[in-house]
Amino acid sequence: MKHQPFEEWLLNETSLTPEQKRELDLHVRSCVYCSALLETEMVLRSARMIAPAEGFAARFRVYLAERKLADRRRRGWGAVLFLITGLPVLFWLLSPLLSRFPASPSAWIVSLVEWGIFIVTTVQAMSQAGEVLLKVLFGFMPPFVWLIVVSAFAGISLLWSVSIWRFTRVPQGV
Amino acid sequence: MSDEKVWVIQAQQGSDEAFAQLVEIYHKPVFNLCYRMLGESEAAEDAAQETFLRSYQNLPRYDVSRPFGTWLLSIAAHYCIDLLRRKKFTIFSMDVETDEGATFELPDASAPDPETESVKKEQRDRLHLLLKELDSTDRAALVLRYWYDFSEVEVAQSLNLTVSAVKSRLHRARRALAGMWQKEPMPGMQPERRAYETPAF
Repeated sequence: MKHQPFEEWLLNETSLTPEQKRELDLHVRSCVYCSALLETEMVLRSARMIAPAEGFAARFRVYLAERKLADRRRRGWGAVLFLITGLPVLFWLLSPLLSRFPASPSAWIVSLVEWGIFIVTTVQAMSQAGEVLLKVLFGFMPPFVWLIVVSAFAGISLLWSVSIWRFTRVPQGV
Repeated sequence: MSDEKVWVIQAQQGSDEAFAQLVEIYHKPVFNLCYRMLGESEAAEDAAQETFLRSYQNLPRYDVSRPFGTWLLSIAAHYCIDLLRRKKFTIFSMDVETDEGATFELPDASAPDPETESVKKEQRDRLHLLLKELDSTDRAALVLRYWYDFSEVEVAQSLNLTVSAVKSRLHRARRALAGMWQKEPMPGMQPERRAYETPAF
């Protein structure tokens, strides 16, 4: 009998008949590889559990308390940072409305519409300026430079997507 | 309902005491898995702590119909695989199993005579060193299959693999181990001692 079925028996941990066991025994006596396969299986099966040093649960309680404290601190600093950076931006955005706060409701509505128009016209002006700039740049820049620019943007986008995915994914096995 | 299920439900409701009971029950299997995966007791301790922390944080998402131990070991295996992938290009040593220091073998109730025990210990040490040569996912599959008696289906569920992928990884890992085992004979091993003298089936 060839080597292959014996290796398959050993790897698949097949239940063998007494006759097959005898054949395997004979084969293993002459095949160093199958002997090693059998021996490693026996060692794997006889391997024991390794326990950590005493007091693991107590150490974990300390670790958990430290991590909870660190999380609370991080959230606290996050909130402070958000307030420091977010509030001035909010005030700047709302300043046209706030300046007319004591005025009548109609003045409020007028300032809201003016503010909306300002935002829309600013975006339009910026897009038109961008278009003009691109047309000018097309004339100046050779195609290979465009290729580099597009590749760089694609690379940055990919990096950004991967970063978002890594930070937001749930750990595997959970 | 078993005590374990009660503790899991209580822990999901925010009881740290109940979670401490779960840590008490599972710290040995989790540590052993991390130790077999990472090869160092210090790294295994850190990984085991991190595993329990992750399970604590994700307890609300745990499905109580699934065995808690399998879920926990799955977190540990994935964490160790990630850790090994990150450390791929850094060299780190593997401890030899020791009865002194930070790690302890659990006592064997059926301990045979000292000579046989010594040979077995040498073989286990050698196997432990050879494990580090395997791919991290193959190693995890092998450890779950042989140390924890997981079925191939359970290994597949734990490692997010298909059953056929688990089979193929287990075969590859065992072939690699056997190859290394025959290449590097155990020092001091008697040449007349044959593995096949102990029946496998």
